[in-house]
Amino acid sequence: MKRSRFPSAATAAVLVFFYLPILILIANSFNASRFGSGWQGFSFRWYARLLREAEIWQAARNTLVIALTVTVVSLVLGTTSALALHRFARSKLQRFHFTLIYTPLVVPEILMGISLLMAFVAAGVPLGLFTIFLAHVTFCISYVALVVLGRLQDFDYAVVEAAQDLGAGWWMTARRVLLPMLAPGLAAGGLLAFTLSVDDFVITFFVAGPGATTLPIRVYSMIKHGATPLINALSTLLLALTFTTVFISQRLTRTKVLEGKI
Amino acid sequence: MNKSKKATMQFRAAASILFLAAALLGTIACGGKKDQATLHVYTWADYVKPELVARFEKENACKVVIDTFDSNEAMYAKIKAGATGYDLITPTSYMVSLMNGQGMLQPLDRSLLPNTTHVDPEYLAIAIDKTMDHSVPYMLTNTGIAYLKSKVRNFEPTWAMFEREDLKGRMVMLNDMRETIGAALKFLGYSLNTANPEELEKAKEVVLRWKKNLAKFENEQYKSGIASGEFLLVHGYSGDILQVQGENADIAFAMPKEGGAISCDDLVIPKSAKEAALAHAFINFLHDPKVAAENTEFIQYLCPNKDAYPLLDEKIRSNTGIFLTPELKARCEIFADLGADNAKWVKVWDEIKAAK
Repeated sequence: MKRSRFPSAATAAVLVFFYLPILILIANSFNASRFGSGWQGFSFRWYARLLREAEIWQAARNTLVIALTVTVVSLVLGTTSALALHRFARSKLQRFHFTLIYTPLVVPEILMGISLLMAFVAAGVPLGLFTIFLAHVTFCISYVALVVLGRLQDFDYAVVEAAQDLGAGWWMTARRVLLPMLAPGLAAGGLLAFTLSVDDFVITFFVAGPGATTLPIRVYSMIKHGATPLINALSTLLLALTFTTVFISQRLTRTKVLEGKI
Repeated sequence: MNKSKKATMQFRAAASILFLAAALLGTIACGGKKDQATLHVYTWADYVKPELVARFEKENACKVVIDTFDSNEAMYAKIKAGATGYDLITPTSYMVSLMNGQGMLQPLDRSLLPNTTHVDPEYLAIAIDKTMDHSVPYMLTNTGIAYLKSKVRNFEPTWAMFEREDLKGRMVMLNDMRETIGAALKFLGYSLNTANPEELEKAKEVVLRWKKNLAKFENEQYKSGIASGEFLLVHGYSGDILQVQGENADIAFAMPKEGGAISCDDLVIPKSAKEAALAHAFINFLHDPKVAAENTEFIQYLCPNKDAYPLLDEKIRSNTGIFLTPELKARCEIFADLGADNAKWVKVWDEIKAAK
């Protein structure tokens, strides 16, 4: 039987669709033209200018600080919440808990942004990085919890019982049995939380306070009112950073922890 | 390990992580020196020359923190919902009148703004806040027509250019209800702030006629389109076109003789501002003629400061699409907030967009 060409064609189309825009963006970041109107020569001028843009670096710093703290905190909270959901799945309280965890995934972002803003204003919390952090944790917990919960669902609880039989205490069980087995879920949840936090615009816009402009907010404003090549250059740097991080982490871990799970 | 001890440990672990996070966020947030006053400016990206900000910081021994927004509406929604902490905002005039109507702005103290005597009286004559009671104009841009000199023969500065069959498919108008219907209204000799259904209906017919010759309605890509020669004639903002002219010297900009829209972003101080005095000082600083000229050349929008005009580069000063003749300027208008009449416009615009 002749093999269908469809799968390879579909794969190629998807790859082109995903990566061509990125390649064009990278190419344009070296284009001397400001409006991307044809190729006006290879140039590092946008990178040079980017280096001098203190406001953009401040925004990048804000974004990274928030994303890192959000990842750590939502990993802890999300995992504990997944454990509770899994352990006591049938109790009424946990079913209510599940609804609470689920809600941020289905609530429109704009609604969440405005309502969080109003809550912060009502509670007298001064807007700033801290409010962005709280808002991001609010929705990142849900993603982490659901990813970890998925991992727990095909988790053999007998292993935990065996560990306890062999005399491991709660802390030992958690550290030596639960954590390693949940690691792929935790890695996936953490990466998801980090990514969501880095590129959230709508919610962040509303809860950001003075001095707390993040990269997405800055970039949106630059599209309207600034130089787009700077955005290309910045995106290329971020891409390079992402690829290096992934590459290094793969080299370092070498174990099969992440294989096929993300 | 007993149960309560476990719980304490868990709690401690969680608490220490939260504490670390808070501490980290805290150090970043309070990066500046505590004893310095800080002016928080909420504005568009790249809307004031960084060197000028540094100079102001030095002269006033303060710190200026700039945050950005990307649309008047989003900024309004945020401030309206109670966001505070900003001392100076730069909304577009129609939004300024809306915000002022809702009591969101502070009246300005003119005694702190001696430099406002330099503000162009010809502009103030058509401005919404003519007395600078709660706003000072910051940057202007005219909406007109940009075209390629070598490709468009017999160019005439009139909105009727969009009827030219020979340019069919190579022209673009703004995907902006107010700008595009406004252009048709000016073409017909009406006000671009009209709410008269008959005038709107006539304007709709004109835009529909133009639409047959247009490649599309578009707000951003027209800049690269005209620079690359993909489009020959576009409806656009003088500020944007000035920037594009740096790439393609064949581009010219003209204001149609029927008049058009002038958009202005104003400097306003919200009610909740903590550093109102410093905000006044910054407004005054920006209207120092030398500063205004330097800023204009950097942003390439025009600061309406009459004493800054002679200091500007000859190239900008001789551009008749930016420096309009008094007669033409008198025919131009500023967009006013439409209020309840907005719905009529939206309906007409929907019909235009839906038409084949």
